[in-house]
Amino acid sequence: MRDSLILEVKDLTKRFGGVTAISRCSLALEPRRIYGLIGPNGSGKTTLFNLITGLEHRDEGEVRFKGERIDGLKPHQIALRGIGRTFQIIRIFPELTALENLLVVARSTGGAARRRALELLAFVKLDRLKGEYAGNLSYGQQKLLEFTRVLILDPELILLDEPAAGVNRTLLNDLLEAIRGLKEQGKTVVIVEHDMKVVMGLSEKLFVLDYGEKIAEGPPEAIQNDERVVEAYFGR
Amino acid sequence: MKPLTWGIGLLVLAALAIMPFFVTSYIVSFTIQTFMWVALAGSWNLISGFTGYVSFGHVAFFGTGAYTGALLISKAGWPWLPAGLAGSVTAAALALLIGYPCLRLKGPYFAIAMLGLNEVVRALISYFEDFTGGGSGISLPPILSIEPVYYAMGLSAVSVTLLTYVIITSQFGLRLLSIREDEIAAEAMGINTARLKLYAFLLSAVFPGIVGGFYAWYASHIEPLGTFPLLTTITMIIMCLFGGKGTVWGPVLGAVLLSVFQELVWARFLFVHQALFGALIVAVVLLLPKGILGVLQERYRLPRAI
Amino acid sequence: MPIQITGAMMLQGVVSGLLAGGLYAMVALGLSLIFGVMRVINIAHGALLMLGAYTTYWLFALYGMNPFLSLLISFPLLFGVGVLLQRWFVHRVVNAPELSSLLLTFGISIFIPNLAMLAWTADYRSVEFLTGSFLLGPIAFSKPRLVTFLFALGIAGLAFLFLLKTKLGKAIRATSQHREVAQVCGINVRRIDLIAFGLGAGLAGAGGSLVSVMFSVFPEMGQIYVFKSFLVIVLGGAGNYPGAFFGGLLLGLVEGLASLLLTAQLSEVIAYILLVLVLLVRPTGLLRGRA
Repeated sequence: MRDSLILEVKDLTKRFGGVTAISRCSLALEPRRIYGLIGPNGSGKTTLFNLITGLEHRDEGEVRFKGERIDGLKPHQIALRGIGRTFQIIRIFPELTALENLLVVARSTGGAARRRALELLAFVKLDRLKGEYAGNLSYGQQKLLEFTRVLILDPELILLDEPAAGVNRTLLNDLLEAIRGLKEQGKTVVIVEHDMKVVMGLSEKLFVLDYGEKIAEGPPEAIQNDERVVEAYFGR
Repeated sequence: MKPLTWGIGLLVLAALAIMPFFVTSYIVSFTIQTFMWVALAGSWNLISGFTGYVSFGHVAFFGTGAYTGALLISKAGWPWLPAGLAGSVTAAALALLIGYPCLRLKGPYFAIAMLGLNEVVRALISYFEDFTGGGSGISLPPILSIEPVYYAMGLSAVSVTLLTYVIITSQFGLRLLSIREDEIAAEAMGINTARLKLYAFLLSAVFPGIVGGFYAWYASHIEPLGTFPLLTTITMIIMCLFGGKGTVWGPVLGAVLLSVFQELVWARFLFVHQALFGALIVAVVLLLPKGILGVLQERYRLPRAI
Repeated sequence: MPIQITGAMMLQGVVSGLLAGGLYAMVALGLSLIFGVMRVINIAHGALLMLGAYTTYWLFALYGMNPFLSLLISFPLLFGVGVLLQRWFVHRVVNAPELSSLLLTFGISIFIPNLAMLAWTADYRSVEFLTGSFLLGPIAFSKPRLVTFLFALGIAGLAFLFLLKTKLGKAIRATSQHREVAQVCGINVRRIDLIAFGLGAGLAGAGGSLVSVMFSVFPEMGQIYVFKSFLVIVLGGAGNYPGAFFGGLLLGLVEGLASLLLTAQLSEVIAYILLVLVLLVRPTGLLRGRA
């Protein structure tokens, strides 16, 4: 059973000074699924992503990817093992062109990588802007560019931090379709999203964080009716 | 690059190659120094223009190369050419020694550390008097003809520029730029930033080491204060910045323009020379931070390789 | 070394070192203020110090003014120079990558001394005001150094009082802790920048006035204090104001002992090696805990 998990987070704890950002948090992710990670502002969602991808160091607990410990690895090692992510506050490379933003990440160089990059840009309708500096793109376009940058890395597990925020309505449906498509390609996806309609519609299973603790997990219907979740969102 | 660009480039190279036969030795010396600055500014560009890590003590590699060359010539009796080339080895070794720990430092801290390390190297060289001649330095026999140095310096300048072109058109170059743009995002996208920074740092030390070695032979005399001044680092930086950092031709353009400017204008205002240079630095930083090519690049969508 | 080092010599080294350290502390506090608030490394700090020294020198040479009294002029004068530099130049590179501010302040740092040289020549000048020393047991106290030390301590104390007790001082500390948050809380960050650079420059100028009582005054005199100040703020932790103060005393102490035990050149190396080591091992400074 354990071996079939793609990601296993066990009793993860992270403190910043006196504040406990993540507290004994455990998650088990199976491959080929779409998960949602929700919780009020400051509940530790982004910190959890940072811990999994190695940008922050855990104080306690462990993270296993396909059965192997990855806590303690450097971020690029984790990325190359197969965990890709986007950021809540966009982190593209502004003075590289849209195309270069993808080529720089590609695992191979040459014609094949270039074709794949152009294909991805076309997919998010940025192909005509491939020579434009990424910093000159609109917010929504940058968001999409960041999304395709993860795809060119071709990770097995994809962590998306608010992928839909700022993306215009016409592109949003394409984006959601693309995320569903990732599952068909055998990927596992975790989404942090504030738009409840989006996250409920996409996820097969949700994890709810509050004050760094996992307070609930389950299918969307069950979570919507969970008292603790309602309390966490509206009770204060 | 287009065939036309290649054509022009080859023509300029050919002209430079036969130039010493037609001009005065004054012009030859001037061109030697300009070549040296092209190599230095281009080298600084490789680490700082690409990755954004400000090497504020880059003259340390030049000085190390100069001392390596001078010692090999004076103590070991080496001919100047291999002695100068050997400067690359010690400079790269120094880069490895300090780059490995220091490239972890971010922003201004890296700059300060490099500044401090340059002083350490300079002070150590002054200290080991028996070996390095201490504060009075090392004198070499005067050189009889400067043409060989002209070609050696010229080849160094061309090599740095070619190297920059090769890097900038490769994924390695893009990855260095991604470190400048957003190091954390680069890491999270599987880019081994620590290793790439170190490679860039090593590459950026090689040619300052070599031209340092050639310079020692050319100048016939070196001493610590004149070989490791912060001003030399700043000059490399300002040349690179003025032409356009992170581009192939920016450092070349900046080095040539400032060298000519220095020769034509400043030499006549010896007393205010430093004040003028200070004002120029301030002006470049405030008015032209992207440099000439940076501005052109942005306005006309030129590739970086130009 | 053949010379036997006695306990009294050690004690003398400690005393001389600490006396020098008070001045370093005050000058570095100025640099630290500027760095803390704006993340700008002010390489022109030494040039400002030099201007303060000339202020005192000329007031003394032309009007016979007591050099310590001239602090009342050099501090506000340099405060003004600092505000102008900030308003004309530095504010434009506050949010730029560090390369811009390093180069900009370097440019200023060679511009001003060069002008000073044109105006006042490169001659070494001195303020012959307080000389000699007195003995306390086996330890010699140089009078000018002791008085300067006390003044440096007093001025640094006033600066701390200002930072701790006044509303403006609190705003400065808030800005240096978190610029964006301070802005959101309604602090006019650009005004804070002006005041911080003014204060930093003022402290450098006051430092120059005090230096002039002990050492020669000449256009390039400020340079060594810039390097020393870097070391001090690295020791104390950049932007950590009490840290800068103790870092200054510590540097004085290390120098005092090193000059006793090592040759001049080597003691200089020790200072720079210390700089790099502290940066590598504990970039947040010796006082603060690990990052």
